[in-house]
Amino acid sequence: MQRTTLQTLSLYVGLAVVCGVLLFPIYWLFVTALSTLAEIRQLPPSFWPAEPQWSTFAKVGTERPIFLWLWNSTLAALGSVALSMVVSVFAGYSLSRFSVKGGRSLGLFILTAKMLPATLLVIPLFGIFRSMGLIGSLWSLVLAHATLIIPFTTWMLKGYFDTIPRELEQAAMVDGCSPLGALFRVVLPVATPGLAATALYAFVLSWADYAYARTFLTNAQGSWTANLGITTMKGEYVTDWNEISAAAVFIALPIILIYLFLERYLVGGLTAGAEK
Amino acid sequence: MSLRFLDLARPSRQHWLGYLLLLPAVALVALIIVYPLFVSLDLSFQKIGMATLSAPRKPFTLENYHKLFASPDFWNSCWVTIKLVVVVSAACFAVGLGTALLVNNRFKGRTLARLFVALPWAVPEVIAVVIFAWIFDSSFGLMNWLFIKLGITSQMINWFSEPTAAFWVVAITMIWKGYPFVSIMTLAGLQSIPEDFYNAAKVDGANAFQRFWYITIPVLMPVLGVTSVLVVLWVFRDLSIIKVLTDGGPLKATQTLSIMTYDQAFGFFNMGYASAIGIVTLVLCVVASLLMLGRKSQAMY
Repeated sequence: MQRTTLQTLSLYVGLAVVCGVLLFPIYWLFVTALSTLAEIRQLPPSFWPAEPQWSTFAKVGTERPIFLWLWNSTLAALGSVALSMVVSVFAGYSLSRFSVKGGRSLGLFILTAKMLPATLLVIPLFGIFRSMGLIGSLWSLVLAHATLIIPFTTWMLKGYFDTIPRELEQAAMVDGCSPLGALFRVVLPVATPGLAATALYAFVLSWADYAYARTFLTNAQGSWTANLGITTMKGEYVTDWNEISAAAVFIALPIILIYLFLERYLVGGLTAGAEK
Repeated sequence: MSLRFLDLARPSRQHWLGYLLLLPAVALVALIIVYPLFVSLDLSFQKIGMATLSAPRKPFTLENYHKLFASPDFWNSCWVTIKLVVVVSAACFAVGLGTALLVNNRFKGRTLARLFVALPWAVPEVIAVVIFAWIFDSSFGLMNWLFIKLGITSQMINWFSEPTAAFWVVAITMIWKGYPFVSIMTLAGLQSIPEDFYNAAKVDGANAFQRFWYITIPVLMPVLGVTSVLVVLWVFRDLSIIKVLTDGGPLKATQTLSIMTYDQAFGFFNMGYASAIGIVTLVLCVVASLLMLGRKSQAMY
């Protein structure tokens, strides 16, 4: 399709306006983190700090246990991703390859789990974790985040395995591989990009959680995750918005970077079943 | 002998492997989703405060549900939830669809534009709350300055103590966080439409609007259906954005069913009552998604 110069120009102007408006909040977060308190409290606001205050990042890093919170978030995410991936690789493979009796309804059920309100599940889980002595421990998050992750990962992986030809493992089995051997030695290596995308997506889900962390960890400050920790930085009367913004940058940056570098894979996984 | 019994490579035994591989998922889902769900249902029929599994079961009662349906709080929460679902979903679709159509054009830097348009998707909800809480700050926030500058108001608005204003702050935060998902899904759908469709339509003399209405929309329908269900359910169930931003206030103007459930459970420790609200929310979620998908519900799977 050929466009006139005017059409092309209006397309670019439209894009610039739309991106400008939609991305402004992210820009504003970084600007605020780099501004002095005086700059934040002046009218009209300054849209670029006169002297970027990089020291705010260091200050927040030393005055608040940001790095401990980030570490806890990382541990919880790694744990829940590992647990969910192991379980859903097997389940996804089974749903993709074997016509298991009741497999379809089971698949439907796992998917229905996506519809469950977290606020409903969090009540019994609280009781269960309490009787298991897991309240205040990151293990509670590993298990709870698995409820969020498994329904997604199982279906993403099933969709991914569906795209890998069956002949691949059949050939391996003819050559003397056991079915499980064929899965590990042939299918999984081929599926590496899909596995990576799914694991990343699972990581993002766990990293973003607030509801479970708030419920299970509130009494154990040492195990707070980043999302939980940052909500305690808002003061009752006055909030130092530059400091809380700097902390927010620490928390958001890993995911923003993952997204920017691996957008293709993340989005590919997200939209996998949607086009059918 | 026993080895042959375990030989899963034999065609007659292969389906065993299928079951075996499903087992861990089934066990885990049963343990952390199905069982808790039954516990919830059970709790909702008991007059119970703090839920302890070791304590003996309280007698069966419908009191929680009676109390719930007689409570003006509950109906208020239903109304707030519905308002929020309608406003946020509609806006997410408008912005998401618009941005997807925009970056689906061919131009230089398209890849980068796509990356940017969906960027808020990567920002965790709590961080989105931090950003918007600051933008709508009543003393030094940008929005007050903008409103005064544009002459919409002459004095500072206290966004978080004014019911209508607080509702819109919540809605705007959710729209900003939610539209990229629609955008991403729609874009994937748009890319599955072969260029030939449009060329053929053009040869037949269809104008731009007709091409959009008779080709783009019908092909996108299944994707839009699934996406709308997921967006509606997301707004329906959201806890973190509202909890951190307004905590359901002021005057319960932003108290959705999810917030009400959570506050009853962990604010007042009425676990039985909270479970009843949660069960009702779940039923509403299921009914809403069945209604939206209708006979096409199979498409979701």
